[in-house]
Amino acid sequence: MFRNNYDNDSVTFSPQGRIFQVEYAQEAVKQGSVVVGLVSKTHVVLTAVKRNAEELSSYQKKIVGVDDHLGVALAGLASDARVLSNFMKQQSLASKLSYGRPIPVERVVNMIGDRAQSSTQHYGKRPYGVGLLVGGVDDLGPHLFEFSPSGLTQEMLACAIGARSQMARTYLERHLDKFADCSREELIKHGLLALKESLAQDKELTVDNTSLAVIGVGSKEGKRRVENFKMYDGQEVGPLLEANVETSGTGEGEGDAMETDS
Amino acid sequence: MTSIGTGYDLSNSVFSPDGRNFQVEYAVKAVESGGTCIGIRTKHGVVLACEKIISSKLLKPGCNKRISTVDRSAGIVTSGLLPDGRHLTSRGRDEASSWRQTYKAPIPLSSLASRLGGYVQAYTLYSSVRPFGVTAILGGWDSEAESGVDGQVGNGPAAGAGGKVDDPSVKRGGPALYMIEPSGLYWGYYGAATGKGRQAAKAELEKLDLNSPDCALSLKDAVLEAARIIYVAHEDSKDKEFELELTWISALDGPTKGRHEHVPKELLEEAEKHAKKSLEGDDEDEDDDEMEE
Repeated sequence: MFRNNYDNDSVTFSPQGRIFQVEYAQEAVKQGSVVVGLVSKTHVVLTAVKRNAEELSSYQKKIVGVDDHLGVALAGLASDARVLSNFMKQQSLASKLSYGRPIPVERVVNMIGDRAQSSTQHYGKRPYGVGLLVGGVDDLGPHLFEFSPSGLTQEMLACAIGARSQMARTYLERHLDKFADCSREELIKHGLLALKESLAQDKELTVDNTSLAVIGVGSKEGKRRVENFKMYDGQEVGPLLEANVETSGTGEGEGDAMETDS
Repeated sequence: MTSIGTGYDLSNSVFSPDGRNFQVEYAVKAVESGGTCIGIRTKHGVVLACEKIISSKLLKPGCNKRISTVDRSAGIVTSGLLPDGRHLTSRGRDEASSWRQTYKAPIPLSSLASRLGGYVQAYTLYSSVRPFGVTAILGGWDSEAESGVDGQVGNGPAAGAGGKVDDPSVKRGGPALYMIEPSGLYWGYYGAATGKGRQAAKAELEKLDLNSPDCALSLKDAVLEAARIIYVAHEDSKDKEFELELTWISALDGPTKGRHEHVPKELLEEAEKHAKKSLEGDDEDEDDDEMEE
């Protein structure tokens, strides 16, 4: 079962200079359902497909609001994501307390990156088994970061992680040039379409399994400089799906009725 | 590596019968696949350059900087595992600021290299940690002016223990360049290279004659050369796209006023153009009948 002797802990390099435990943790990200993130000059959108363990259970939360200006979408171990997002919430509040302003996105992302790095260098710890897409708005505008279990964090224009996410990434790469100038609605549309690309053949986006969140740069004149984190979940995504994604069912309710049968 | 698989390479801080620490050697392997990073030290300042491989089209261009400032006049660039590099950089910043806290003056680069070297070395001593999978290049300019200390009263003894040495032959400050390896070993350099393209980069650095006292390379020349060398070193892995990152440090009266900063956009563009042109020139001169790339 073991690939080799060098994969038992995250403090052992293989002769090629690889750390297998970290690479395996990155596999855990690929087990999670797909999440997509993308930015324009004014907005950042996160979309996600939720999964339920069984027919009667609720759907797993995929997008977490961290603060008014910050949110994360996760793929992989949800409990690890909760640890990280709680940490981000704390840091965000601490920043407001100390400096009287929301924490810059890159700063909080680097903080979780550094945390994740330390668990790849010390025996007895394990790497986080979760990948995050962190979306947020600060003085420099909207940002999207990818966080991976290795502790690597990178600023992206668009990104998709999780199961079958390659299809979504292909969609994003194909439309990459358009995103910058997209309106809020157009960006949501691209987010949902990219998400749809990654669905399994017999699946489709429904009000039950789709989550979407938007954060935007507020109008310059207004008091608020941020258009606050807004999550669309459950019935609220219905109109967005109708407007942007072709669904095979004609009515809204029909989609889940069909799924119950399968 | 004959002793691979004999069990001496499974844990950090364990010597093999022939006196090697394999985990450290494997950490070096992690560096050898990283993007090329170089540093050039001239009389007028130091240039750091790095080849940032674009692993995905979705990455935001011009972001995700790899060369960091650790103190006002000191920069650090790492090759290898990027998160390890961030860890080391962050330690460098801590060292620089705690030095300022203690001595009310910027940390000399030799001391910074020593502190960081010691830190990296500590990660080879225990089986509970793994070594750093990075090689770091440190560049900086130590101010030659004597900086006053906050709250200083008087000038101290004029002679004897603790007395001032006013010997004009003793030269203080100036440019400095160091490279720290995963073992914690560090040396000072005139030109340093690490990462995937280090062999080609080293060969090019040697041609610059940086160690000769009458090396006439100006700081701007060094910037152009650094860009060219990164492009030359990239030749072997042509398929992958990359972004060039360049920083420099000069004396107080130089273009950066003693600070470590990214080179201005115009100079970066000029350096890239110069690098591409000189590569094309090379192809024509040396192997025009072999290929036309």
